[in-house]
Amino acid sequence: MEVTIKIFRYNPEKDQRGNYVTYKVEAHENDRVLDVLEYIKGKIDGALSFRRSCAHGVCGSDAMRINGRNMLACKVLIRDVGANITVEPILGLPIKKDLIVDMEPFFDNYKKVLPYFINDSPLPADGRERLQSPEERARFDETTKCILCAACTTSCPSYWANGEYYGPAAIVNAHRFIFDSRDEAADQRLQILAETDGIARCHTAYNCTEACPREIKVTKAIGEVKMAIMTGKLD
Amino acid sequence: MGLKRDVSLSAGLRYRGPAAYLTYILHRIGGLGMGIFIAVHILASFVGGRFGGILNGIYENWAFQIFIFFCALFHAINGLRITILDLFPKLLDYHVEAIWIEWAVFIPLFGVSVFVIVSTALGG
Ligand code: HEM
Ligand code: SF4
Ligand code: FES
Repeated sequence: MEVTIKIFRYNPEKDQRGNYVTYKVEAHENDRVLDVLEYIKGKIDGALSFRRSCAHGVCGSDAMRINGRNMLACKVLIRDVGANITVEPILGLPIKKDLIVDMEPFFDNYKKVLPYFINDSPLPADGRERLQSPEERARFDETTKCILCAACTTSCPSYWANGEYYGPAAIVNAHRFIFDSRDEAADQRLQILAETDGIARCHTAYNCTEACPREIKVTKAIGEVKMAIMTGKLD
Repeated sequence: MGLKRDVSLSAGLRYRGPAAYLTYILHRIGGLGMGIFIAVHILASFVGGRFGGILNGIYENWAFQIFIFFCALFHAINGLRITILDLFPKLLDYHVEAIWIEWAVFIPLFGVSVFVIVSTALGG
């Protein structure tokens, strides 16, 4: 089938602002949008710039706005988006070139929530693992699945309005450790998230939940963190 | 070099979010609509005279009443949904259903009210 694909282009060396270029290419309905981008880059315009690495929905590098909604280009098929496709960079991060955005502000926000395991207590007597029951592990299973693609954060109207908001992805990753029974820094993280640019900026628009390619219930994770801050209890 | 992070209002509104994104936008419009309505209403009573009369004339117009009633009713019902889901995060699993329920409550209430406003306006 013939696919008409309109792609946002911006060359920082030449352009004052971005513009759209339309390409008509042959594609199979089971091709992914990423395949079409690769085809254009390989055969039509080698300057087309976008990030991708794994091409299998694992590395999180190719989040982009496809037909107006954040998705991973490697996880969406042509038959799911139709023969008329618009591809734009994700919103709310500075654009470096074409579909490539500057991810630094995203990772700066991520780092603010201490997204790593903290436990300074001595190891158990046998000197081996800190044990956890299957139920305790299940408590935060969903939020371990995040691949830091930024689809959620850059779909959030609060984040568009204010880049200081830590954003859904940072809160998801805080959730992953806050509800881990082996971790000891939940209070510290909850305090950080109780600040002005933390969970208070979430107005439950649900764009994040819809955008997440890992099907993490992002708004729910944020809701659980909100509740933990309000009650001071983790359950 | 690069383009700034700014997201324009039109770019934001063009984002194809889920049903909840529409309620988020309508909630803002409702809250803002009511805020402006109350502020101008107070102003109209305060200045009085011909100018106050013109403003009050707008308020008594049935089309405006439908608009402001939409703002108030939608904001109240949607605000209630947000509050309930905030208080019981477990219910967030059913947020899509919650929005269906919200419309099921809103549409008949609003429909009846529009009927009453219009039939009163037509002297019924
Ligand atoms: C039945 C009465 C009301 C209820 C249940 C209600 C509920 C709410 C809730 C839950 C929010 C927060 C929404 C969020 O987190 O995004 C909110 C925001 C807001 N409300 Fe109300 N409200 C009511 C009446 C009013 C009135 C009378 C006004 C105007 C004078 C108003 C103006 C606003 C504004 C401007 C916002 C901020 C918009 C936003 O955050 O999206 N509200 N309301
Ligand atoms: S929560 Fe989902 S959308 Fe957000 S960064 Fe992680 S994987 Fe991407
Ligand atoms: S290229 Fe790795 S997630 Fe799409």
